[in-house]
Amino acid sequence: MRRRGAGASASGPARFVALRAARRLDRVSEAAIDIACIRKTYKGRVTALHEVSFRVEPGEIFGLLGPNGAGKSTLVKILLTVVRPTEARGSLLGRPIGEKGALARVGYLPEQHRLAPYLTARQAVEFSGALSGVRRGERRRRTDALLDLVGLGAWKDRRVGMFSKGMRQRAGLAAALVNDPQILFLDEPTDGVDPVGRKEIRDLLVRMRSEGRTVFLNSHLLSEAEQVCDRVAILLQGRVVKQGALAELQREGAGQELVVRWPSEPRELPGCAGPPRVHADDPTLHVHEIASLDPSDAQPAIDAARAADAVIVSLVSRRERLEDLFIKAVSDPVTGRPLPPGASR
Amino acid sequence: MMALLAILVDTYRELSSKRLFWLSMALSGFLVLCFAAVGINERGLVLLTWTIEIPLLNTSVLEPGEFYKLTFYTLGVRVWLAWLACLLALVSSAGLFPELVSSGTVETLLARPITRWRLYLFKFVGGLLFTALQVAVFCAASFLVIGVRGGAWEPGIFLAVPMVTLFYSYLFAACALLGTLTRSAIAALLLTVLFWGFLFTLNTSETIVNSFRVAKVEEVAAIDRFVDRRRQKDPNVDISDLETERSLAEEALGSLRTAHRILFTTKTVLPKPEETVALVERWIVDAANLRSVAPEDGDDEPSQDTLAKRRRGRGSSFGSVRARESDVLEAVRRERDARSATWIVGTSLAFEGVLLLLGCVSFSKRDF
Repeated sequence: MRRRGAGASASGPARFVALRAARRLDRVSEAAIDIACIRKTYKGRVTALHEVSFRVEPGEIFGLLGPNGAGKSTLVKILLTVVRPTEARGSLLGRPIGEKGALARVGYLPEQHRLAPYLTARQAVEFSGALSGVRRGERRRRTDALLDLVGLGAWKDRRVGMFSKGMRQRAGLAAALVNDPQILFLDEPTDGVDPVGRKEIRDLLVRMRSEGRTVFLNSHLLSEAEQVCDRVAILLQGRVVKQGALAELQREGAGQELVVRWPSEPRELPGCAGPPRVHADDPTLHVHEIASLDPSDAQPAIDAARAADAVIVSLVSRRERLEDLFIKAVSDPVTGRPLPPGASR
Repeated sequence: MMALLAILVDTYRELSSKRLFWLSMALSGFLVLCFAAVGINERGLVLLTWTIEIPLLNTSVLEPGEFYKLTFYTLGVRVWLAWLACLLALVSSAGLFPELVSSGTVETLLARPITRWRLYLFKFVGGLLFTALQVAVFCAASFLVIGVRGGAWEPGIFLAVPMVTLFYSYLFAACALLGTLTRSAIAALLLTVLFWGFLFTLNTSETIVNSFRVAKVEEVAAIDRFVDRRRQKDPNVDISDLETERSLAEEALGSLRTAHRILFTTKTVLPKPEETVALVERWIVDAANLRSVAPEDGDDEPSQDTLAKRRRGRGSSFGSVRARESDVLEAVRRERDARSATWIVGTSLAFEGVLLLLGCVSFSKRDF
């Protein structure tokens, strides 16, 4: 409703887009994906997923992160009926997981997808639309628009077999979007795409979010995910080891760093977490960590340092990068070494 | 319906993107041209404008229409469509299912609102398009040739389209299953050709054993007839030679019946490609016109000289020395024709159904 209000106050095309987005959100008042439990054990009792559960809200970009072999692709494939689960409870667009009907409103670009080399880009996208039940006229209209959108407008009638990897990826993206999906699953979408293409894909994802669609991004390119994801889940050994809004997760390890030059021996300062550490670049400096992003929490420490004739060199706020979060999540808390990512017996 | 149409069109595009498809089409066209170049007149065989005089093959023996229909069936259907073109079609389409289940392709297809069963079956139907198209083009061209050159406008020729497609479907069902299981086009092709070879061998063995069995039945009947005739002429005549022959024939008949029962039972549950295609001949070639070509024997008891010749294999059919050759051939033909199209096609389709079911189950139960 908030989005509808915002849309109503806008004008022209922006208002139109906002209204369409609001309508789409109204249609899916429930979670886009609501996983109560997904479990997958392969023959030989190898368990790829252990009772995974999470929720993806409509209109957000959700990143499923994890090292290779953690079970990310298996999870997506279970949602899309490509892999049969041992147990699956939950819903996709309000329908039970595994029900084919929901897939008419889902787009999917798998990792290392293969478009038929004998088809032209136009035929490949239209074929994808026909399988999703998009009517002929609509299919043709969308195919043209989407191929223009992904930058293949001049290559519509060329065979996919002669495309570069990046071009195939763009064509695959157009094929995934042809049914005007409410959820788009992307497995390493920028793989093989040049930097300009990557930015275009990121912009497209943001645009889809603004239209009220849900994007489920499966990636191990953390810098990419960090730029676009609203929420993330980190999967390791078939379990969700961390999940939440990206901003909140980053705030968990956030704080301020007060860099001080002490005239003599360094002292502990009030409001700081433990004794100072020596600065990595300059051994004459010491770093005091304040476990808060609020500048007022740093004032007692600054006052105490100044009172002791120390020189305040800098005060910087520090947010945890997604990569740090990720490394922390996939490492042994005792040894700090990465845990094995994959399935277990 | 939309998905079915999309998969059919896609499969056509996939097959027609291969050179073999066009090579096969070109060969079909060439064959029809050859077919058109050959004719028959009152003196013999006509090749373009030259006449090759053949006393046993001219319009006094065979009508031009029958000649073309026979040539169409013998060379066009049995040799070209049911062997060479079918092999080319298998080579072309053996990769359809391994490609369907290959990584990167199958995910995008399964993540669509279409069930795996439908996907498998639609792809299968799409694969049959290759043969159906080839046969339809060949039949249309042959229809024109037979009409123009032979003067017989025979729409029955188009029966070859469903029958040859049906023939191919038995093999393609096996190819699809094997391709799904092995994920290899080469393995699927080789195993399908082996399966085809097995069916061919089984059919040939059954046909031969059955012909010998039928010939032995005729032999026993002929001996009984001659015994009656001799006794009518002279009740005290010595018939020990015929009785000995009869008991030997009965003994052989028992063994042949057992062997045939085993082969026939095995054949019943398996597809019958050869017999399916042979239905075309049954329906389009008028057998009465062909039978008149064979000279009729008398029904008298053969002389010792004739018997000696037949025992050496001359003038006998399937080892029968007492029965008339024409009777044996007629009985074999009757036996063949007694097998209904429903039995031939029905039992074959039942086996094909099992193969498709196994393929669907395998495709549906697998993780990709």
